[in-house]
Formats: sequence, structure tokens, C-alpha cells
Amino acid sequence: MHIPDGFLAPTITLPAYAAAAPLWVWAVRKHFGPSQVEALPAVGTLTAVAFVLQTIMIPVPGGTSTHLVGATLLALLRGPLVAFVCESLVLLVQALFFGAGGITVLGVNALAMGLAGPLAAWLLWRAFGRRASRAEAFVAAYVGLQVSTAVVVLALAAQNHLRPAQFPTPWPVMAAAMFLPSLTVAGIAEGLYTALALGLLLRLRDRLPP
Amino acid sequence: MTFGPRGARVVLPCWLFACFGFSAITDLRVLLGCLLGVALLFPRQAPRAARRALLTAVPFTLAIVLLTWAHARFLLHVRPDFHAYAGLVLRAALIAFATFAVLGAVDLLGALAPWPTLSRLLVVTLAQIHALRLVVRDSWLGLLSRLPRRPSARDGLRNAGGVTATLLTLSARNARDITDALRSRGF
Repeated sequence: MHIPDGFLAPTITLPAYAAAAPLWVWAVRKHFGPSQVEALPAVGTLTAVAFVLQTIMIPVPGGTSTHLVGATLLALLRGPLVAFVCESLVLLVQALFFGAGGITVLGVNALAMGLAGPLAAWLLWRAFGRRASRAEAFVAAYVGLQVSTAVVVLALAAQNHLRPAQFPTPWPVMAAAMFLPSLTVAGIAEGLYTALALGLLLRLRDRLPP
Repeated sequence: MTFGPRGARVVLPCWLFACFGFSAITDLRVLLGCLLGVALLFPRQAPRAARRALLTAVPFTLAIVLLTWAHARFLLHVRPDFHAYAGLVLRAALIAFATFAVLGAVDLLGALAPWPTLSRLLVVTLAQIHALRLVVRDSWLGLLSRLPRRPSARDGLRNAGGVTATLLTLSARNARDITDALRSRGF
């Protein structure tokens, strides 16, 4: 789902950075300050799991790839802002050391995979209230992944509309190519992963750090 | 050319601005010129950076672009613009090449020293990624040794629950150890 470097021009990537930067600062101050030092190991662990999940990418013809995200689990456990920071960190590590995604598109990718999707999933999860169980976690993660896909499609479609020489794929082609695997495979896999891992983590809660 | 923490704090913003500049170029000749320019600016780091870019960013972007091109050409029966598609690959290659060349020349963790929480989170995450990859590989080898045949997808799935539990418990312990070690060293 990562948009690679060079697919989007600064007309889109810079506003995305401008939108993401205050959220990064706010989230880091709120959740990663000196008083929350004890939470870092658990957050680091879940971030690393999200990283490992995202290493299996399947290229799709629309201009990007499809894969699990893993940020929904973080959002359900720690809140959407923590998921946003952790997913941004995963994207940064991938861009800097593994050549996946990219540094110029970090803002767009972080807003799509780290904020929009996990936030939608978290809101849905909250809406389920006390009845929330594994099935609800599955639904929340499935919907979250589709929201992330929609944001990525929107960004690429905007680029195609603004400057086709930069990104030549028309949006109907791209939307079909991205939503098909997302709706049929990646969404279900993300839902299953989130539901199973959430159940497991809630059972292991006493043995894990706070 | 290599830079210490102070030099890195100047070079890193320049590299970021350059990357945004590169991402706006659509002319193939200008992109090739920029590739040459980066190689001349970082001659020592260039071979390694080129190899890394060719092994990581380029194959993936090339696969996406070829799939998109083939889709347009054979399913939609339109003649795709070669320059636009070649530009996508070249831009991705150029930015990856510049990133790896700059990272090879600067001390990234030294440059991040003024932000201890970010440094700590980055170190914990990198250490965890390494630990997780080792655990996944070891558990797969363990599964291979326990079965008389090659494990099927079903065997893999059945094994995944136990592996995930071990993995999370182990990595939580690792992360705590790393955090304690970093804190004791003043991070």
C-alpha cells in the first residue's frame, strides 16, 4: 500500500507533511514523553510486528502494492495517535534502510496507513462499546484497511489529475487494481490478524509490560 | 565524504530538500544528470548505495510500473506513455540512491541525539526487527526439522499461534532490556 518515492509531486507531498507534522509533535508529546518511558518496550514490540507484517508486499498494477498493515491492533490497544507515530516510524525505517515507500511520500503514507485507517477502525471499535469482541475487531480492522486504501487511491488520483506526466495511471484503473486485492485478501487477512492477536494479547496481558 | 553529528544536522535537511526537488522532475535527461551528480558528490558511498537501491527500491517500483504498463497495454488496449513510466522508476531509483549515499556518509543516531525519545524508539524498533526476523527464521527451521515432509500452509498457520505468543513474550523482554541499557547509558 506504500506509495513509492517519485510517484507524487511536492504539490501533494508537502501539504501532507504539513498536515502530519503537528500531529506527530502532538502525539509524541502526549504519548512518548519522559513520563511514558515504561510504555516504550511494548510499543516498540508492536511497531516491530507491524514492520514484519508489512515486509510481505504484493505489487498491484494501480501504482502501489497490497499488504497487511498491523496498525489497527496498535490503535485498538493504545489509541490512534500511538498507532500513527508507530506506523510513521515503521515507514521511516522502511524508507531509510529498506528502500520501501519513501521519504518524500512519508507524510501521505503515514496519514493513509497510520492515521486514517487506524482512526476509522478505532472509532468503529469504540462504537461497538462493551460488546466489542474478536468479531468486532475483525470488522474494525477490515474497514480500517479499506479506508487506508481509499486515501492512497485518492492521493494517486489527485496526482494523476494535477499532472498526468508525473503519474500516468487513470484513477478508475488504479482504484480497481487496489480495491480488488484489498477487499478480497488483504482486508480479511488484516481482520484475522487483528482479531487473533488482540485475543492473544488480552490473554497475555499480565505477562507483558504496561 | 563523511560527516559527524554536527555536519549531519546540516546535510540531512539538504538531502530532504533535494529529495523533494527530485520528486518534481519529469525530464528523463535531468533525472539521469541528477543521478550522476549524486554519484559525483558521494563517490565513496556511490557503489554501495547503487547496489542497495538496485536491490531494494528499484525491483519493487519496476514491478509496479511493468504491471501497470502491461495492464494499460494489453487489457485496456491503450499505448502508455513510455517517458512517464520510465520517469517513475528513475525518480524512485534516484531518491533511493541519494538516501543510501547520504545515510552512508552521516552518523544518523548521532544526529538524532538531541531527541532521546526518538533515538530510543528507533533503536528499540531496529533491535526488535532484528530479533523478530531471527525468531521467525528459527521457528520455521524448527517446524521443518519436526516434520518428515515440507510444511504446508496449514502447518504454517497451525504453528503461527505458538510462534506469535513466544515472539511477543520474547520481544517484550528484549525491548525492556534494550530500554534499560539505553537509559543506563544516558539516552
